[in-house]
Amino acid sequence: MFIRLVKFAWKIIWRNFRRTVITGLAVGLGLGSLMFTEALMQGMTAHMIQTTTESWMGDAQIHRDYFLDTRNINPTINRPDSILSMLDGDSTVSFYTARILSPASVTSTTELKPVTFIGVDSETDPEVTMLEAAVIEGSYLSGDSTEIIIGHKLADDLNAGPGDVIVITAAQADSGLSSSMFFVSGICRFGSDNLDRYSAFINLTTAGEMLGIPGEIHEIAVKFPQAEAGADTSLGFWRRFSVFGNSALGWPELAPQVGSMLSMVDISMAIMAVILFGLVVFGIVNSLFMSVFERMYEFGVMKAVGTRTGTITAMVVLEAFWIAVISAVIGSVIGLLIIWITSKTGISFGEIEVSGIVFDKPIYPLLNLSRLRLYPLFTLILTTAAGIYPGIHAGRLNPAEAMRKSL
Amino acid sequence: MTDNDVIVAEGIVKTYDDSGVPVHAVRDIDYTLQKGEFTAIIGPSGSGKTTFLNVLAGLDTPTEGKVWLSGKLISDMSGRELSDFRRDHIGFIFQAYNLFPVLTVEENVEYVMLLQGVPSGERHDRVMDILEKVGIAEYAGRLPMQLSGGQQQRVAVARSMVSRPSLVIADEPTANLDSKTSGALLDMMRRLNEETGMTFLFSTHDEVVMQRARKIVVLQDGKIDGKASPEEC
Repeated sequence: MFIRLVKFAWKIIWRNFRRTVITGLAVGLGLGSLMFTEALMQGMTAHMIQTTTESWMGDAQIHRDYFLDTRNINPTINRPDSILSMLDGDSTVSFYTARILSPASVTSTTELKPVTFIGVDSETDPEVTMLEAAVIEGSYLSGDSTEIIIGHKLADDLNAGPGDVIVITAAQADSGLSSSMFFVSGICRFGSDNLDRYSAFINLTTAGEMLGIPGEIHEIAVKFPQAEAGADTSLGFWRRFSVFGNSALGWPELAPQVGSMLSMVDISMAIMAVILFGLVVFGIVNSLFMSVFERMYEFGVMKAVGTRTGTITAMVVLEAFWIAVISAVIGSVIGLLIIWITSKTGISFGEIEVSGIVFDKPIYPLLNLSRLRLYPLFTLILTTAAGIYPGIHAGRLNPAEAMRKSL
Repeated sequence: MTDNDVIVAEGIVKTYDDSGVPVHAVRDIDYTLQKGEFTAIIGPSGSGKTTFLNVLAGLDTPTEGKVWLSGKLISDMSGRELSDFRRDHIGFIFQAYNLFPVLTVEENVEYVMLLQGVPSGERHDRVMDILEKVGIAEYAGRLPMQLSGGQQQRVAVARSMVSRPSLVIADEPTANLDSKTSGALLDMMRRLNEETGMTFLFSTHDEVVMQRARKIVVLQDGKIDGKASPEEC
């Protein structure tokens, strides 16, 4: 009986071909757009994480416990040699690089600007950050103690270019001041205001000597095989390297604004899904009610010849189920096609900055089937469920009244 | 009430109040239909024929009065029991045929047996048998829209009888047919009545039906205005 009802419902929905196609297209377009939005958000999320971790931060960092709170010169990493040696032997770590950070002022012949003065290991840094790749003019650090790389915005502010002399002044560990003269070796462009306007990069050894903390470091940036590991709280890495008064933190803790953005993306998607699926449910209920009212006499006849209330309800729900299947197929095809095309071409937003992250390159929607398959599934469940109310209405019709009113 | 009574109705009143103005469709009717009858209820439009049939068949509840179907009081039955009772004991023929347009002739006719849970093989045999009897076996695979009005009404007759009900109720079965087709249909139904002993109750104002009925009940303004034989009409 059930199989016959399923076949009956399939035949019924094609009685009004135009309405079924339009309903399927309407729901399908909604589903397709939701799938595309999800893929786009996934692409934006990946871009945000990539920009945050690959450009400079790394997937994780190790500092002295309270360094990030004060960013003072003194809380350097405790027992740095032990930590670096442990990192060498840690299988979860792909690369790492050590840094020194300090607030400083930079002076050119015409301007004085505040900067974060960063000492980098020119040999290991390219494995972890984009500094070398970000150099757009001049050259990367070669190990010379007088070379410095500055961001293109800072270069504009200072009216300085490759070969020009600038002076860095910073507080030393013993509270004295230290000034050193540098030659601009390179101009870099990260796409982040913080790095392009407020940072200057010199060699690690030079920075340590200038600040009076030779052999000490403030920060170790770590790269895992996958950036996602930086957000994996179950990773043993955090416990192993939060030792000797040091703390190991992943990128969600280091860049909470990115974590907030990602949460916002999830919430936005949930709100969009609720609105869209709400519209879908009302659309289907409306469509099925139209169908039920058109077939009042038929339902009257069905009841007259002995069809039970539950059977009629089941038939209308099965009609909704078939519309759901058609809609899910249409929506999935539309959604996957648009995602596939745009994942090849990318979508350019021009140059916008969100939470310090610049979207200056095309965003490529990501085809994540484990998430995307949920939307057709929800469409199937909700659209079928939307048939229950019209189905109950049809099932409860009084046969004589149904036939009388539809005449 | 005797074992021979298919329907017994006492003091039936049906009043509609859809628009706030009470309309008395059926007024205080007592009626008994016996097994094997081939009876027509006649009367002008608006005389209450359809309403009376609906109440007798358990499709509508009377405002007042009681109806017994095959000895069972309708008002004592739950909606499900009444539905099952109609499925197993009453066949219906409607004036506009009312076949399911997406189902073939065979599927339309077997529908009630499907509800009854009759096995597939038996369903097919019984459908083909009844289609033979009503003379449209060769159209078993066609859709209703591919048949003429007369052929569709034959399908409706087959559908009403295939589940072997004790009573067939037909509301204006010839209303959409020409007189020749109506005559042929009624001859066929009367033959089936004689062969199977099934009880037939019609509403009609068609003379062709009246001439073939064995009993006639005249309804006027919602009341039985008399009973007659076809010769008296």
